[in-house]
Amino acid sequence: MAGFREAQGDLVLENVTKSFTTFTAVDDLSLTVPRGSFFALLGPSGCGKTTTLRMVAGLEQPTSGTIRIGNTDLTGSRPYERPVNTVFQSYALFPHLSVRDNVAFGPKRRGVKDALAQADATLSLVQLTHLAGRKPTQLSGGQQQRVAVARALVNHPEVLLLDEPLGALDLKLRREMQVELKRIQTEVGLTFVHVTHDQEEAMTMADTVAVMNLGKIEQMGAPDVLYDLPRTKFVANFLGQSNLMSGHVDDTDGDNVVVSTAQHKLRLRKSRAAAGSGDIAFGVRPEKTRIHNADPGPAAAGNSIGPGTLVDVSFTGVATQYLVDVPEAGRWAVYEQNLDLERIDSRPGDTVWISWDPGHAFGVRP
Amino acid sequence: MSALAHIGGSTSGSAPAAQPTPTKRGKVAYLLLLPGVLWLIVFFVVPLVQLFTVSLQSKFPGYPGYYYRDVNFGNYLTAVVDYWPHFARSLLYAGLATLLAFILAYPLAYAMAFKAGKWRGVMMICVIAPFFTSFILRTIAWRQILSDDGWIASALNALHLLPGGHITETWVAVVAGLTYNFLPFMVLPIYASLERADPKIIEAGGDLYANGLTTFRTVTLPMSMPGVLAGTLLTFIPAAGDYVNAELLGSDISTKMVGNGIESQFFRVVDGYPTAAALSFTLMAAILALVFLYVRKYGTEELL
Ligand SMILES: Nc1ncnc2c1ncn2[C@@H]1O[C@H](COP(=O)(O)OP(=O)(O)O)[C@@H](O)[C@H]1O
Ligand SMILES: [Mg+2]
Repeated sequence: MAGFREAQGDLVLENVTKSFTTFTAVDDLSLTVPRGSFFALLGPSGCGKTTTLRMVAGLEQPTSGTIRIGNTDLTGSRPYERPVNTVFQSYALFPHLSVRDNVAFGPKRRGVKDALAQADATLSLVQLTHLAGRKPTQLSGGQQQRVAVARALVNHPEVLLLDEPLGALDLKLRREMQVELKRIQTEVGLTFVHVTHDQEEAMTMADTVAVMNLGKIEQMGAPDVLYDLPRTKFVANFLGQSNLMSGHVDDTDGDNVVVSTAQHKLRLRKSRAAAGSGDIAFGVRPEKTRIHNADPGPAAAGNSIGPGTLVDVSFTGVATQYLVDVPEAGRWAVYEQNLDLERIDSRPGDTVWISWDPGHAFGVRP
Repeated sequence: MSALAHIGGSTSGSAPAAQPTPTKRGKVAYLLLLPGVLWLIVFFVVPLVQLFTVSLQSKFPGYPGYYYRDVNFGNYLTAVVDYWPHFARSLLYAGLATLLAFILAYPLAYAMAFKAGKWRGVMMICVIAPFFTSFILRTIAWRQILSDDGWIASALNALHLLPGGHITETWVAVVAGLTYNFLPFMVLPIYASLERADPKIIEAGGDLYANGLTTFRTVTLPMSMPGVLAGTLLTFIPAAGDYVNAELLGSDISTKMVGNGIESQFFRVVDGYPTAAALSFTLMAAILALVFLYVRKYGTEELL
C-alpha cells in the first residue's frame, strides 16, 4: 500500500504541542509507551487526552514535536498510513455495514485475501460470532463496544488507541469489559493506549498510568507506585483522596525532613519528599490514618496531628469514615477498617487526634 | 413512504399501524390519523377512482363531448400507440434531469454539510430562496436566459458550438429547466443525510486504511444513500409528470412530454377525456413500476 509505514517498537511522543486558535490543548508533552504494554492516560475531562490520541492516530497534526514508533517518524503522515488503530469514544461503527463487514473493513482496505476469515476469528476473540450478521444499530452498547474493539484489533496494529471505550457503559458492564480488555491485551500482546477519566479503571487495567492535567503529564508510573507516592497535589487528589496541608521544610532529622506547619512539626522520609527545602505540601492518605480519643503522646510526635473536632462519622460497613476539623490544617478524612470488635465510640463534636505510620506520609510540590 | 421523512416531515402512518391490538393509546392514534385519512380519501382515492372510470369510458356517437360508462381498454391502446414517444421523452428527460441534479447536488450538499462552517445558513437560504418566486415565473425567466439573443446562446453561436442555433425549443432546454426546477428536492435530502452522519465515522474510514477517495466511496456515499434515494425519487417523479418545462422551454412537437399530451387531450381536444385519463393512469403505473424496481435495487431497510 502506497505510503503505509511499517513500524515496530515503543511509541514515543517528543515535545508534542497542539494549539487550537485560542487554546493549547496539549502542551510540550513527552512520553514513551513500551512496546506491548497496557498504558493508561488518565485525566479530567478537557485535559487533552483525546487530542493526544488523535495526534497519534494522525487525525490531528501536532503544532510542534514528533511522534515515532520505534525508529519510524510518523509525524505528518496520514491516518491510513499509520500502523495504528483507534477505538472511538462513540464507537463510530459503519451503520450501513454488518458487524462482520465492519470488522473486515480494515483488512479489505489493506488487500488482505482472507479478510472475512480474519474478521470471524477476531469476532470470536470478542465473543460476538453469533451476531456477525447484524447491523450495528441492532446491538446493545456493550456489544457495539466489542465490535469497535474487534474492528481495530483485527488489523494487528502496532499501537491500539482506546478513547474512553467504556465510558458509555453501566458500572457492571464496565467492570466486565475492563477484565475482558485486559484479557485480550494479554492474549494479543499489542501496545494498548487506553484513555480514561476513571482512576480506578486506569489503576486496575494498566501497567503504566500517566496522569494528565491541563495538557501536560503530571506524573507517570506503575499504578501502585503512583498511588503510594504522588508527586504533585493534583495527582494526590485525582488518584484517590489525600489529606494535604501546606508547610515548610526547615530541618532534617536523620533520614527524615522536618516539615513545619502552622501548628505542628511533622516528619517525612527524605525519599518521599518532593523538595529538600522550602515550601511543601504534606500529605497522608485517609486509609493510612487512625483516629484517637486522647493525645497519642510523644511516641507519635511528628506522625500525628490534633486536637481536632470530629464533624462527621459515616459507617460504610467494611469501614468507617470520619471527618475531622483540625485548626490551621483544614478538614481531614480518616478511613478506618472495622477490624476491632470494640470500637471507640466517637460522636460528632468530640475532640480527637489523628496519627499515621511514618512511612506513609508524602510531600508534594505546593 | 418514509423517504419523505428525511426532509423533516413525520411518518404519521407507521407508528399506529405497528400496534396489533387497539389499546386506549391505539384509539387515540387512530383518531389522530382520521383527518389525514379522510383527506386522502376525499382528495386522492375518490378522484383516482373517478379518473379510472373516465379512462374506460367510450364516446357517445354523434354527440361530441359526451361519453357513456363502459369498460373500453381501447383508450389505453390509443394512449400508448399515439403517445409512446411522449412517454419515452418523459422518462428520458426526467432520468437525465435526475442524473444532472444528482451530479450538481451532491457536491453542494457535501460542501454545506462538511465545509461551509458559518456559511452553511447562507447556502441553505440560497438553495431555498427560489421557492419564494413562482415556478412558472422562474421557468419563463429561463426562456429569456436561454433565448437566441441571450448571452449564453449568442456566446455559443459565436463559437459555433450550437449545432441547431438555438437552445430553447430543444430537449436541452427542457432538461435544463427540469434540472433547475427540481434541484432543491435533490439537495435537501442529501444534505440532511450527510449532516446527521457522525464525522467520527468518516474519520474511522481513514483510521482503517482507506484514503480520502476510498473513504468517500465506501463510507460517506453509502451512508448518504437514504438521502440520495429520497432525492432521486423527489426529483424523478415530479419531473416525469411535468409539462410546464416542455411547454415553456421546448418546441411545439419534438420535445413534448406525457404531461403535455394529457394537457392537450383534456383542454384542447374534443372527446379527449378518456384518452387523457388513460394517459394519466399509464404514466402513474410506469412511474410506480420504475420506482419499485429502483427502490428494490438500491433501497435500504429504512426506506422500505
Ligand atoms: N478542534 C478543536 N478546536 C478548538 N479546541 C479544541 C478542539 N479540539 C479540542 N479542543 C479543546 O482542547 C481541550 C482538550 O480536549 P480533549 O483532548 O478532547 O480533552 P479530553 O479528551 O481530555 O476530555 C478542550 O478544552 C477542548 O475544548
Ligand atoms: Mg475525550
